[in-house]
Amino acid sequence: MKRKFLLIVVVVMALVLLAACARNNEDVADPGQPEPGQPEPAQPEPGQQLTLSPDQPVTWNMMVISDNMPPADDNWIMAEIRDRLGVNLVFDIVPGDLQDTRIASMLAAGAELPDIIHVTQLDAHMVQAGALLRLDPLLDSGKFPRLYEHHKPYRGRLTFRAGPVEEGLYQMAVWNRFYTDSEGGGPIMGPMHGGTGFWIQKSVLEFHDFPDLDNMNLERYFEMIEEYKAANPTIDGMPTIGFTFPMLGRVWGMTNPPQFLAGHPNNGEVIVEDGIARIYHTSDYAEYYWRTLNEAFHRGLVDPESWTRTHDEYQAALASGRVLGFHDQGWAFGTPRSALIEAGRYNRTWVPTMPVMREGTTPWYADRPVLNVNQGIGIPVDSENPELKLLFFETLLDPEWQKLFMWGREGIDYHVDENNMFYRTPEQRRNADEAAWRLSNRLEVLWGAIPKIQGSLPDGNAYNPANQPSEFYAGLSDYFRFFLESYGKSTWTDFVNKPPSNPPYYPAWQAPIPGGTPAAEAAAQIQDILPRLVPNLISAPPGEFDARWAEFVAEFELVDIEALEAQIQLFIDDRLARAEQ
Amino acid sequence: MEKAKAPIKRSKKSFLRQWQLMLMSIPMLMYVILFSYLPLVGWIMAFQNFRPRFGVGIIRNFLDAEFVGLAHFITLLDASSHTGARFIRALTNTLGQSLLTLVVGFICAIVLSLMLHEVRHNGIKRFIQNILYLPHFLSWMIVTVLVSMTLALPVSGGILNDVLMSLRIIQEPIQFLAEPDYFWGIVAGANLWRNLGWNTIIYMAAMTAIDPNLYEAASIDGANRYHKMWHITLATISPTIILLIIMNIGWLLSSGFEIQFFLGTGPSIARAENIDIFVLRFGIEEHNFGLATAAGVFRTGVSILLLLAANLLSKLMKQETLF
Repeated sequence: MKRKFLLIVVVVMALVLLAACARNNEDVADPGQPEPGQPEPAQPEPGQQLTLSPDQPVTWNMMVISDNMPPADDNWIMAEIRDRLGVNLVFDIVPGDLQDTRIASMLAAGAELPDIIHVTQLDAHMVQAGALLRLDPLLDSGKFPRLYEHHKPYRGRLTFRAGPVEEGLYQMAVWNRFYTDSEGGGPIMGPMHGGTGFWIQKSVLEFHDFPDLDNMNLERYFEMIEEYKAANPTIDGMPTIGFTFPMLGRVWGMTNPPQFLAGHPNNGEVIVEDGIARIYHTSDYAEYYWRTLNEAFHRGLVDPESWTRTHDEYQAALASGRVLGFHDQGWAFGTPRSALIEAGRYNRTWVPTMPVMREGTTPWYADRPVLNVNQGIGIPVDSENPELKLLFFETLLDPEWQKLFMWGREGIDYHVDENNMFYRTPEQRRNADEAAWRLSNRLEVLWGAIPKIQGSLPDGNAYNPANQPSEFYAGLSDYFRFFLESYGKSTWTDFVNKPPSNPPYYPAWQAPIPGGTPAAEAAAQIQDILPRLVPNLISAPPGEFDARWAEFVAEFELVDIEALEAQIQLFIDDRLARAEQ
Repeated sequence: MEKAKAPIKRSKKSFLRQWQLMLMSIPMLMYVILFSYLPLVGWIMAFQNFRPRFGVGIIRNFLDAEFVGLAHFITLLDASSHTGARFIRALTNTLGQSLLTLVVGFICAIVLSLMLHEVRHNGIKRFIQNILYLPHFLSWMIVTVLVSMTLALPVSGGILNDVLMSLRIIQEPIQFLAEPDYFWGIVAGANLWRNLGWNTIIYMAAMTAIDPNLYEAASIDGANRYHKMWHITLATISPTIILLIIMNIGWLLSSGFEIQFFLGTGPSIARAENIDIFVLRFGIEEHNFGLATAAGVFRTGVSILLLLAANLLSKLMKQETLF
């Protein structure tokens, strides 16, 4: 009896092991004949699906780099895509800070690639490893006119040249392709400032009776914060934080300011003057900034937990409304801002200021939007039906579909007035502010990853309700209206500079740094030194700052900065040369 | 202490008579071969500049890569290059963290087992043991969040600072996560909190084999509680302790991953980055698979040597050996 039982157990275990080892094939349900993998896209075989229709459903795995949540099951946009186009998307959402590891393991293991790949890695490892399909033949074939037009003005920038693969376009442009020329004509800036700034809480400015923010410098900035903090040591029961910045996972949040204080726009690790790139981490601007922070630290204004807080904790601190000032980029703290607005704490949100180091320097905090290169959506090289996937994006680029994503359904999510402009009722606006509503009624995960129309739609409406001027004014809360009136300004971007035209090489942080080179090693060293030593600079006891600064500079001497500058210089020179053609 | 070796009959007959046991062990054997031995083929990457191209299959990728011999190992151990200096720092951190964890863990586990053994009431003993085992089942993610919260400043709810200040041990709150020198202690402490109860299991099991008559005989001879603990309990479990020490010495170059990954960023990098994090940052994120594999090969080689050395030392001292 015991022997029989033992035998059964053994057999069951063996079967379980074999079942677990079997390959899981849940792939494309393409009703046409599947092709053996070909490196070049072949002409469509007879019988291969050429149209998207609900009668020929397909299921695609889509890898998306996003910090968004997956859509709710009752999401109507997903249902529309399924019912009208027959496409069922299964999302594999990878948070931004895990992207590098995921791509590396996919490539090293030679894993099966998802059907659609969206990556935002600047070094374009996916492209370099030959995992993505070269899209030029398809784009130039004339079958996808909207996609062709979408890429036409920027074809040179978007062509990948830096690697072992054939030169070409591998990733379709996803962000900042403006359909009204952002260089002239049409609104340059939306009403919200999504870029960098030294943000200061509205209540602080109100406390100081709406002072003039021109010619701002760090001394005034910290003074204002100090006075408010002395008068309000706690906000809603929690201790007030004077100044903070994001650091874990975003070291640039801590180290970017020196270039802005110098009156330069965001070029990453370098300041570019007369076309020459120089790393600024040991420059006068950096020393001034850290020294000022060190003094502010001893006045109790800089939060010592800034460099030990995880990114989630940082966003939670912002959302608690007790942060009086911080340095960050506007697009990065949308969630805390929405949370404060949802809770009705309007005066706890922030306004950007633009301190500079030398009086008279023109601040350049706000920049004109730049096309994101090396970040986009691609099709794996072994895809069975690449034309169908391009057709999908072509279809979604139709203004009718674009409206669905951002505005919603006419009559339900927005209305049209007699001038054909869209507007929303207060209830519809409230809905759009709620995160939970958006999981069922917006598809932000997909929206962030597809080629889209930004700027104005052909009928004159803005692509995004937040950018529609009438919507903006109608949607302002009473407090915001009062605040803007007190300053005599009409939008939030009036608080920052009018951006000049971008130089051809802007932004220099798009320069690719090939792995395994001295430049890459220098970049890695810098990324090791900064988070390790800068917090020590900021928290240096009184009198020790100079000694610690000398140590910091000495460490930088050991880094081959010239190699990194030379690599970035190549990118700058290339762009300048191309611009002259 | 001589061990009597019983003669073992190794005949084919007795082998086949145990066929059920053999059959039961085949799945695990396959698992070990598949996941621990087969991947050793990948060690070839340590001697190459491995740049995978997609779509050509892993064997082709191996054959195509450029052979560089011992270049990666030299880079790792060359203290004058940045990578080498980083690796040596990672090595130091790994050894420091493991040794501290080992020493603290062992002493506390043994002391706790001895104390538990003294508890007379069985029901209370069981109850305490169950509570002690519980932290082991928490995932490292949860433990790191708990550690992060505990070590924060009092304004963010850091209870350790609160407790230390109330006991007047410190005047000002200490930001533990921002000071590199505390990090080894944090690793050892987190490991201790999580594994202490679990580690007592083995010792408790060994202690149940002690003949109670020995204690009575010792009382007659005039031994007090501490004498009994030292000469009977501790003496009986000392072979177990030595075996466990030898095994753990083999793991000396692995000091964990999650704590260092989530808590060891920022200023503590200098003391937090261990070999695993080094492999992640320099190998996987930089797509330098050759260097990452070389670090791994180095670690395995040194661990095996350490294990053999510890075993030999134990044999020479006439104590228990692993093999």
